[in-house]
Amino acid sequence: MNKKYALFPGCLMPTEQYAYELSIRETLPLLGVELVNVEGFSCCGEPMKSVNQLLTLYLSARNLAIAEKHHLDIFVPCAMCHLALTECQHVLEKNPAMKERINGMLAAEDLTYTEKRHIVHTVDLLYDEIGVQKIKEHVKKPLQGVKIAAHYGCHLLRPSEIGRPDDPENPQKIETILKALGAEPVNYPQKLDCCGAPLLANLPESALTKTGQKLQAIQEQGIQGLVDVCPWCHKMFDSRQAKAGETVAAKLEVPVIYLTQLLGVALGISSEKLGLELNLSPVEKLQLEAVK
Amino acid sequence: MSIIDLTSMGEPQSELRKELNDRLKKLQDEISDYCFQCAKCTSGCEAHKLLELEPHKIVALLKRGLLNELVNADVIWTCMTCLKCRERCPQRVAPVEILFALKNMAVASGKQIPGKYTAMLQSILSIGLIQDIQQTTTRTNKTVKRDDLGLPPLSKPTDAAKFQAGIMKIAMEKV
Repeated sequence: MNKKYALFPGCLMPTEQYAYELSIRETLPLLGVELVNVEGFSCCGEPMKSVNQLLTLYLSARNLAIAEKHHLDIFVPCAMCHLALTECQHVLEKNPAMKERINGMLAAEDLTYTEKRHIVHTVDLLYDEIGVQKIKEHVKKPLQGVKIAAHYGCHLLRPSEIGRPDDPENPQKIETILKALGAEPVNYPQKLDCCGAPLLANLPESALTKTGQKLQAIQEQGIQGLVDVCPWCHKMFDSRQAKAGETVAAKLEVPVIYLTQLLGVALGISSEKLGLELNLSPVEKLQLEAVK
Repeated sequence: MSIIDLTSMGEPQSELRKELNDRLKKLQDEISDYCFQCAKCTSGCEAHKLLELEPHKIVALLKRGLLNELVNADVIWTCMTCLKCRERCPQRVAPVEILFALKNMAVASGKQIPGKYTAMLQSILSIGLIQDIQQTTTRTNKTVKRDDLGLPPLSKPTDAAKFQAGIMKIAMEKV
């Protein structure tokens, strides 16, 4: 049975983290997920939370209302957007006065929020909706010998109170998916450390130092590579890896790859279709068959 | 509609300030009382080692009523919003939420917004997203954009005027 979702792209993935979007669009339909492109989505609002929380709530509600208009559940590949939409839904369901107030503002665009929708991220879509067994059945080229560590991203895991895709302190879903792909997940003490991205707006040097510290720890432990599931985390670990290295005075050469890219390789999709040439970290070191 | 309405001391902002003040008062009077300064929040804080943020001290200062001092302190802008403090607090105090309220208050009070927040807000107002399509580079130094890769058109607000009218209501709304 096909599962149908509105793809909520957010800001970062569709404007620069193209590899994530390419690999999502290539892999998920093969696993029975239908992605619907919906017009009119905006920023989720989360980047503006420090400036004006009401604006965050409004923008999230606006996006939920658009999905509602199309009677669709929502697939949100970005951890930050996923938190914003989930938290907004939580607030609007718990606080009728706020719901009324937000709906009053949404009227400007002829939108209304009335009911809960199912909001999924890449991790729970793969693990809970599609299921590891089904993924296993579709694997054509098992990722033998790929020993890789997982980075979940803070916003994906907390606050557990409002419902997040995995455990706040000991998440294991990515590791389980990696095993299904034939890879060997590696545990490491810095697993829950932040990527630094939320500080990019006002303290970019510190943000990159945070990135550099985590990557350096991974490199020093001899871990082959890092897999991530958020365009912000990936921007830090992959796109800005060279800069992050400067902040910790180290030459960083850690292959960083999206989970959906690894999935794609295992499903037998070509590196070009998965945007593997867009990763700026040395992913060729992973010696994946698809990457020459 | 200008960015000033959302971020400065215009008339509507006094309403926003009042609302934020009520929220902070509530945090001060009720929530911060639960805190017994175990500092579990600070022990796991992602911004602690690097930038010396000490969430338990923020709560202590709030409890003492040092609101103005907190709102004007640069340290409130070092929070990485990792949410570990909220997750781990045995008393469910959530310092991260206190920090959001303080930062919102700093903005509503007309204190300059740090870094790129203003630019991001301006971009949201004009195109609905924090940035427009960027040109990226491949490992072999080729430059590519979204449509070179065969990706469908960007999803963004279709009617800019209506979209801005919605956001305007946040700036103008009387509480």
